Order: sequence, then C-alpha cells, then structure tokens
Amino acid sequence: MEDEYKEASEKNVVVDETKTQYMTFRCCEEIYGISLENVNEIIGLQQYTSVPETEDYIMGLINLRGKVIPVIDVRIRFGRQPLEYNDRTSVIVIQVRDEVIGLIVDGIEGVVTIGKSDTLPPPSVSDFKTQSRKYVFGIGKVGDAVKLLLDPDKLIHDEPMQEVQERETGEE
Amino acid sequence: MGEDMITEGMLDMFIFETEQGLENLENICLESKDVGEFDDDHVNGIFRIMHTIKGASAVMMYQNITTLSHKLEDVFYYIRESQPENIPHAELLDYIFEVSDFITGELEKIKEGAETDGNADELIEQLDAYLKKIQESNKGSVAAAPAPQQPAEQEKPHFYIAPVASDASKFYTIYITYAKDTDMANIKAYIAVNSLKGIAEDILFTPADIISNPDSANVVLEFGFRIALQTVEEADRIMELVNASAGIEQVEINECTSDDFIAFCTEAQTPISSAGEVLMAPVEHPTVLIKDQKPQTIPLTSEEEKKPSDSEEKKPKKAPAKKKPVVKKGEAQSFISVNIKKMDLLMDLIGELVIAEAVVLQNPDLKVPGLDLTNFQKSAAQLSKITSELQDAIMAMRMMPLKNTFQKMNRIVYDTSKKLGKDVELQVIGEDTEVDKNIIEHISDPLMHLIRNSVDHGIESNEKRIELGKQEKGKIVLEAKNEGGQVWISVSDNGKGLKKKDILEKAKANGLLGNRSEKDFTDKEIFNFITLPGFSTKKEVTEYSGRGVGMDVVVKNIQDVGGILDIESEEGKGSSMTMKIPLTLAISDGMIFSVSGTSFVTATNSVTEFIRVSKDQLIVEPDGEEYVMIRKECYPLIRLNRFYHLEHGKEDIEEGIVIILNHEERQIAIFADELVGEQEIVVKPIPSYIKKVRGISGCTQLGDGSISLILDTGGLLK
Repeated sequence: MEDEYKEASEKNVVVDETKTQYMTFRCCEEIYGISLENVNEIIGLQQYTSVPETEDYIMGLINLRGKVIPVIDVRIRFGRQPLEYNDRTSVIVIQVRDEVIGLIVDGIEGVVTIGKSDTLPPPSVSDFKTQSRKYVFGIGKVGDAVKLLLDPDKLIHDEPMQEVQERETGEE
Repeated sequence: MGEDMITEGMLDMFIFETEQGLENLENICLESKDVGEFDDDHVNGIFRIMHTIKGASAVMMYQNITTLSHKLEDVFYYIRESQPENIPHAELLDYIFEVSDFITGELEKIKEGAETDGNADELIEQLDAYLKKIQESNKGSVAAAPAPQQPAEQEKPHFYIAPVASDASKFYTIYITYAKDTDMANIKAYIAVNSLKGIAEDILFTPADIISNPDSANVVLEFGFRIALQTVEEADRIMELVNASAGIEQVEINECTSDDFIAFCTEAQTPISSAGEVLMAPVEHPTVLIKDQKPQTIPLTSEEEKKPSDSEEKKPKKAPAKKKPVVKKGEAQSFISVNIKKMDLLMDLIGELVIAEAVVLQNPDLKVPGLDLTNFQKSAAQLSKITSELQDAIMAMRMMPLKNTFQKMNRIVYDTSKKLGKDVELQVIGEDTEVDKNIIEHISDPLMHLIRNSVDHGIESNEKRIELGKQEKGKIVLEAKNEGGQVWISVSDNGKGLKKKDILEKAKANGLLGNRSEKDFTDKEIFNFITLPGFSTKKEVTEYSGRGVGMDVVVKNIQDVGGILDIESEEGKGSSMTMKIPLTLAISDGMIFSVSGTSFVTATNSVTEFIRVSKDQLIVEPDGEEYVMIRKECYPLIRLNRFYHLEHGKEDIEEGIVIILNHEERQIAIFADELVGEQEIVVKPIPSYIKKVRGISGCTQLGDGSISLILDTGGLLK
C-alpha cells in the first residue's frame, strides 16, 4: 500500500497550478482527501503514550525517530465511535505551519490529483448532518467517486490559529 | 567605502576582542578603585587596551569609537610618559567607565546590525578638559616630560610597540607577488601577515593600508607586497607560513641587517594608517613588552639582561630572544571558540545517543529465553562506559567558570553604591566554580538583581551604620560553591536584614495569609512572600528597586533552570539569598513508574522514598482528601489515577506503591501502580499542540522507545 502512493507521488512531480494532489484515506466509510503539501509521511500505528486531561480525540504522544509528536484519532474527532485499531490502521503525519501531528485513520487509499474545476464547494449549512462536514472545505470528483477534501487547519484546531495564540498569551 | 571588505568573521573578531578589552579595562579599574591610583602595570594595561580598540575600530571604520578611545589613550599616554603625581583618581575612573559604557553601547548596536550613531563629543571634551587639568596641576613636577603628544596626528606607532631585538633575532625582507588575476590580493596579503604574526617579534609591511583601502589590492598586484620581519625563526619556517596562504605566485625571502630593517621601517611608516598600527599591535603582545621597554625609545640593540629571565627556563636555547612569555602564548592558542549552536547540537545528539543506547541494550529481542549473551553484555558494558564518558566530556566542555559573571557584579556594586552614596565592598569567593553555559546565561540577570537589592535595601546608609555601631563600610559577599550536584550561589550582606513584621503586615494587607494565624508561618514562608509579584515593603521607589517587580522575576528565572531561591535573614544583621541551581539541564536521572498503563518519570533527586503502606496508615477526610502517616509524619496523598482521571488504575493502597516527593521543603505522597525502573532522561518539551497539563513539565523517551511523561513536583504542589 505504501509503495503504491510513493510511486504515484513520484510520477506526478510536475505540479500543475490548477491541480492539487491529495492523499486520500478511509475513515468512517467515507473517503477523505488531504492536500499532499501538508503530508510529511505515512507510518504504521505504534504504541502511544496517552496524556491525561486532554481532549478525547488526542490519543497521546508517539516517538517519531526521536521527535515527540501528538497523534489524534480522526474518527473521534469527527464524533464517531472509535474503531478497534487493526493492521490497516495508519498514521498520516501532517504538518500545519510548525506543528507536526499524526492522524490515525482507518486506512490509506492513495494519491489522487483533482483539478480545480472538479472541486466543488461543500454542501450548504442545512445539509450538515455530521460533525465531520465542518472540516471539509470542498468535494473533489474523481471519475464517479467523490472525495471529501479536508482543511487540515480546521481539523487540528477548534478555533482559528489567531484565537488560539491569543488565548495562550492571555494565559501567561 | 570598503564595507564589503569587512567580512562577518572580522566583525565577530572585532566585537569579541573589543569586549574582552573592555572587560579587562573594567577589571583593572575596579582593582585600583580602593588603592586610589593606577600603578605602572595598570597604566600600561589600559593604554594598550585603548590602543588596540582604537586600531581595531579604525579598521572596522567605527569613527566614534576610534576618536573616543584615542582620546582616552592620549590621557594615559600622558600619565605613562610624564608620570604625574597628582591625578584625581575617582574622576578618572568615572571617565573610563563612561568610555567603556559608550563603546559597549556601540558594540550592541553593531551586533544588532544598526548604525553606530552614538555621539561621544561631550565625553571627548570632558576627557580633554581632564587631561588639561592634570597637565596644569602637574606642570611643575614634570618639567622633563618628553615630546608633546597632544595632537593626535603626531603619534607614531613605534612609540608604543617597540621591536624587541636580541642577538638571536634575524631580520628578513619578504617580497610576495600574486598572480595577476587574484581577487582581493590585499586580503590575501593580510592573511600572509597574519600567519607571520605568530612568530614575529616585529613586522612591518607595505602597502600598509591593505585592510582599510580596497584599492590597495591593485597596488599589491602591481608592485607586490613587501614585509619586513624580525623573528628568531629560520627562513624555511617563514616560507612555510607564507605559502600557507592562497594565490601566491612567488615569494622571496632575504635575510638582512637590523639597519636595513630600520630603513624599511622608516620608509614604510610614513604612509602607515591606523590599519597598520593594529596589525603591529596584535592582542597577543603581553603587557610585559611595553613595561620593559618603557624607558627606551626604540631599542633595537639587545638589552636582554634587563629583561626578566623567566622565559629562559622554558626555551634555554633561544631564551634571550624571546621576550614574550612563550608559555602564555601556548595557552592562548590552545583555545578555540566554537559557535554555541554547534555545542547544543552535539549535546542533543549525545542525548539521543544515550537513549538509542538504552533502546539497543534493553531491546526485547534480547529477552528470548536461553540466549547466550555473554559477549554481548561485555560489549554492551564497554559501550555504556564510552557513552557515559562522552556525556561527561560534553558536560565538561559546556562548563564555564563563574568568573566573568562575578566580575560584572563588581561593576554593579561600584555603580549602585556610588549613586546611592553608600560605601560598599564586594567580596567574591569561589569564582572558579564551573556551571553549564546555559545556566550562566540564565543566572546573570537574577544575580545582578540580588546584588542591587543588597546594595539598595540591604546595606544601610553610611550615617545609619555609624549610628548603629556597625562598620561604616557595608560588605556584600558573593559566593559560589558546589553542593551535591548543585551549585549554590549566594549573595549575603551585613545590612539591615528583612523585617518579618513588615512583610507579614504587607502580606496581610494583600490577603496572602489566608486563614492561618501569623504565628503559624515559618521564617522561610514569610521570606518567600517577598518573591511574589508586586510585593514590596519599600516605602519609596529608587532607581534600582522598590517597585515590587524584580524578586518574582528573579525567582522565575531561577526556576526556569530548575533551581530555587533560598532566603535567610536576621533582622539588623543582614540577609543572605542563595540560588540553588542544578549543574546541568540537559540530562538527568529519573525514576520511572506507571499508573494504569501510562508511564511517568520524576527526577530522582526529588524522590525521598518509595514505600508500601498499609490501609491503617491511610487517613481519609470527610471531603475526600487523603493523607498517609509514615513514621509519624503525615503527608498529603495524591492518587495519580484519580488526579488525572485515568481508568483501570490500582485502587487498593496496599497493592500499589507510595512515592514521597519533595520540593522546596514541602513533601507530598503520590500513589502509583508500580515502579518500572531508573533511567537517564533527556527532557523534551510536550508538543505545543497539547495544552499544558498541571504537574507535567515535559516528556522523555524511554529505553523501549516509548514516551514517558515527566512529573514535576513543583507543578503538582501548586
């Protein structure tokens, strides 16, 4: 599985301005995509150390070659029931600005390239049925299939960065 | 002009050397403060420092520094040459400090990449006036003063750095030509000169303005570069040194007589700019040189019998020739300056190595039953030995004596006491104590604050002291010592001490006493009130203290490096503030224990004991708070599983283990499932994504590669 996407990403080194590459993964029976720009690497799930008194979706800390990074479970983040981790469970290590965070997902699908014209805005507010839609900034069409495109920033932060920073400085 | 000729390296060197010079300058001044006059060594020392700074700043084209240092140099030139008897010492010291402050200020600007726009005119005028004053007042006594030195332009470099000549010295003229397409031939020439400096007793060259004037590159290319060198070394050695610099086409070395040499000197000197001077006044020249030469003008004849013969033992053969103390020089060269970032990187890598070692040695693969590991264990022991030595070595490398920090305090005491009109003496003990570089950076500010506090609040005014029958002069003792893995730095004064009553009153007014009665507070607790933000019992605010900010910052700074501040005081007799700081920050010993599957680490030195307690030792209060009684001592108990809401932790107190932790005199018992072991831990911060959790100060990697949370006793107690 991992080899597949590596090959795929290598083939498409030439980046077309109008097209974006997305790493797609399965989570709660749906396929999500996250811009490849934010993805550092994919690793298998390893033992993590839970940190007390944190949000429920923050599973804990893992050791990524000497660097300590937090991992979050995307299912719990979307308000779904957690699934027992299995062999297909993977961790997508993403980087948003300076923060490196691992996303626990049900499984990796691969890399797809979606043109701007195939990207549609998300369904309107009234269609919001699940919490997960809040993190979706668009819907990408690949053939007949539909991928939900995630905004990584919204995924990891509850509030816009600015507010987080203000809160942090305020605390000090 | 020439801006681009000044490389980053040169700038760093300039800043470094100038800072060192100023530091020495201040030390000399402070040393002489009590004596009330400069002796010959001091005068020569200051003179040389100012001369070096002047030259260096001229090369770097910092005009204001050059003129100012030149002025001070003039003053000392006069003092040195005329030996006037009547010098208002305190006034002179003030001027020197002002000059030093000015240059320091400019250096700061240079470091930040700003323009050196400070105006020294006023100071220069003051110095001029001062010089005139001492000249006037000493006219009678020094009728025989040598040639006037007033106008700056008249000075000749050879006044100061007279060549040291001896029988063994040889004179050479060196003629270097560079390939016509050489870039920056002037810099290459300078490099050649630089490489010769090490062996040179005297060196002159032409064109002399190779550094300050980029056009000299063409001159060098066209006419070649000529150096006159006086040395005891053979021509081969010179050839070797010169050839080490790049781009040279041809080198001609001819031995010549001293007369030729002088001829060359006179010839070369005419166009010499200040750039030449600095090259001839390399910093390595020890002060001895000048002192010995003082009575002479240009001693080119050998006068070695006059010189101290200390160098003779070291190099018997060439001894008379070497006026410079050879040994000293060797020492200087055995130091290299390394970018602190590189050290930090090395430190981090060694930290990783220590962990990687634990990962290998505790690898689960090794736990297969029946495996013969005899050879593995042997090699493993060897590896462990090397890594721990490596760790010690990097630690030792980062260790620096507190000397520099302490010396700065001298100045603080001098300034503060002068401003406040108090007579205060500073005694420094144990300045050779070594501390991690990182820690030194963190304690410098708090220390300064404590010293100022002592001078301002601690020591009474002179009149008051006499009234109280105390010695008029106040005394502050600054002491550093090693104390079991920690460094204790204390500032003690014999002033008025802390008034417990005032502090308690103030604390009461601020509502800090809670519902405890005043009598319940121990001295320590009372004194600790003064470290709270905004707490000041001082009625009026002075320039230095009394605003109630400060002590809390001091304490915070100390806590940042894992240290604590201990305050002791006796009213009327003085107080003593002791910073207790760990020797190093990076790697420490930790005890690992687990609570419902999560592993925690706590610093070994904060663990008092592990103990299993029985049910009857547990006291439960109606509100749910628990205490354990151990040997008639009662400790508040925190069950980590409940505290952190961890499920499946052990609930029965008899099944788990109780750990007694201490933090600044306070003790607390925590209840954990089991002990896991002990390991060296490298503290890493918790990723900022995870918000701060009370009592957890960081994380570390364990031998099996997993992450463990570092439990911080201080945080738990808050």
